Amino acid sequence: MKVTVNDLPGLNCGVCGYRTCEALAERLLSEPDLLKRCIHFSTKPKAAAPATAVATGPAPSPCGSCANSAARSDKPASWRDSLGREFDFYLDHFPTEPGPREIIIPHNPMLTREMNVQPGETLIGRPLGMSCGCPITHCGVAMQVDHRTGVIVWCVTGPLRPRQEGYKDLGYYIAEGYEGMIHKSRCDLTIGMRYFFQPTMCMLQWRHSGLVNYLNRTANGTQVRVEGLWIG
Amino acid sequence: MAGQVYFDNAATTPVDPRVAEAMQPYLAGRFGNPSSLHWAGREARESVACARRQVAGLLQTEPGEIIFTGSGTESDNLALLGVIEASGQERNHLVTSSIEHPAILETCRFLERHGVEVTSLPVDGEGVVDPDGLIKAMRPTTRLVSVMAANNVVGTLQPIHELGRIAREHGVLFHTDAVQAAGKIPVDVRTLPVDLLSLSAHKLHGPKGVGALYVREGVSLAPLVHGGGQEHGLRSATENVAGIVGLGRAAEIAAAEMADEAVRLVRLRDHLIESVTALISNTYLIGHRYLRLPGHVCLGFSGLEGEAIKLLLALDAAGVAVSSGSACSAHHAGQPSYILQAMGFDALRARGSLRVTLGRFNTEADVDLFLQVLPEAIRAMRPVTSYPAVTTKERV
Repeated sequence: MKVTVNDLPGLNCGVCGYRTCEALAERLLSEPDLLKRCIHFSTKPKAAAPATAVATGPAPSPCGSCANSAARSDKPASWRDSLGREFDFYLDHFPTEPGPREIIIPHNPMLTREMNVQPGETLIGRPLGMSCGCPITHCGVAMQVDHRTGVIVWCVTGPLRPRQEGYKDLGYYIAEGYEGMIHKSRCDLTIGMRYFFQPTMCMLQWRHSGLVNYLNRTANGTQVRVEGLWIG
Repeated sequence: MAGQVYFDNAATTPVDPRVAEAMQPYLAGRFGNPSSLHWAGREARESVACARRQVAGLLQTEPGEIIFTGSGTESDNLALLGVIEASGQERNHLVTSSIEHPAILETCRFLERHGVEVTSLPVDGEGVVDPDGLIKAMRPTTRLVSVMAANNVVGTLQPIHELGRIAREHGVLFHTDAVQAAGKIPVDVRTLPVDLLSLSAHKLHGPKGVGALYVREGVSLAPLVHGGGQEHGLRSATENVAGIVGLGRAAEIAAAEMADEAVRLVRLRDHLIESVTALISNTYLIGHRYLRLPGHVCLGFSGLEGEAIKLLLALDAAGVAVSSGSACSAHHAGQPSYILQAMGFDALRARGSLRVTLGRFNTEADVDLFLQVLPEAIRAMRPVTSYPAVTTKERV
């Protein structure tokens, strides 16, 4: 199809990269493909609408907050992660803490001493291998630091903190254990058993598994400690 | 640090000195209340009227159809809540898209809690709403369709003209959140079948804390704020005169310079996209290549999505301000982008985007600095695989 200046909208808006529709029309003579730069002329091929196209229901939760609402709302949980795999409980963080509590150790535990990591400092690093093999760099704030063993207890937070406060980079670390609260589970939990669980704040909403080695039932939920962690 | 580059103009824009100059008298000497009958009030009233004409000029409409608000978010709330409240019907249905700003989505959730049915339209892999989906979504109880003009995270433009036409054919009001689009691409409500349109001053080099809602004449809208009846009774409160004057001046400048600015920004944008793609293997552009805002780039780097935070920190340390997703979701930045997930990205890729948004005060030198810094930052990443899935190429 040959397009002339008369076919263009005549707005001279510049959004195609040419100052006037006339200038674009001139270039179209030798480069007809440039027409797709015109936002007014271009018509996108219509994609087949998926089956859920007009499904009625709640609007999607913005800001990824769906995970929290699933764990804490009264709505029935699906007990499936983002990959469709089943799990037994949601792991929430302690309400007084800034994020999920993890017990971690740098792959070189000496780093804790060499970098002089102190409680309150912001750290980043990726949990590599055993465990948990997560592909995402985590950011958090150190809560307890053991310079003798290299073990750090930190609370994972979002990336705003390192942007605002600076950070120390652990490189890779091993997640040795999680601690937190269970407000919602689909079965009775027993110390010594391995479970699949969904950390509420997991960025990927992938289930994890681990051995429950501490349980404390309180009026506000069950305090739990999980070790021997794996993703999946 | 060689210098500072601000590439986060979708989050907010620097105030244009010409805007600041226009506002200055209203922050100091000119203090009048536009509702007062005396000279001080008259002076303020005339200034607000002038700003209303300037904003109307940007949208090619009449000043009487412009309502000043406190923000783009407030404009969105007024549009959605105001239409539903004014409908006077027991059953109400509203259609929106799955990639709207939280100002729309959270308002929809609020309405749902009050019995309003909401349909959320899906988008394709480039973030575009399919107009056929809107036709199927229409019901006898549909009162309003709200689809944004341009997405804040990926920059994709929506087929507003087509969506508005469908809404009008069904006798349904159409609202568009044009907070990202206004002042950057032509928004002419004489030809666009739009009944309500939101915009915000701070996205077009104006001040924060002021926005506007275009309300086509004849549209019934109920106010959110009740009081002295300012803004045609739709937004009671003594006017933020300085802010409104700033918005007016910002709109006037945007209208006058939009086309030249679009040409300049498209050149910078395309140079940036083509250079990054050439310099860094496994770069992918998110959103449509051309149906996007002039200065908006959204990139992903295969195999490095999990390291998005490291990339942001490295760029920040080098003085380059970019973002991953929208600033409004930064407090939830640990979560994947619901917008990218709606576009079909899996949870990992949906948190690995790098949003680079250029504005009026960015230059070619800024882009060149970014092109120096980014490959270095990428090189320093720790990919999930030891296989060189991501390699930087030598500059040619």
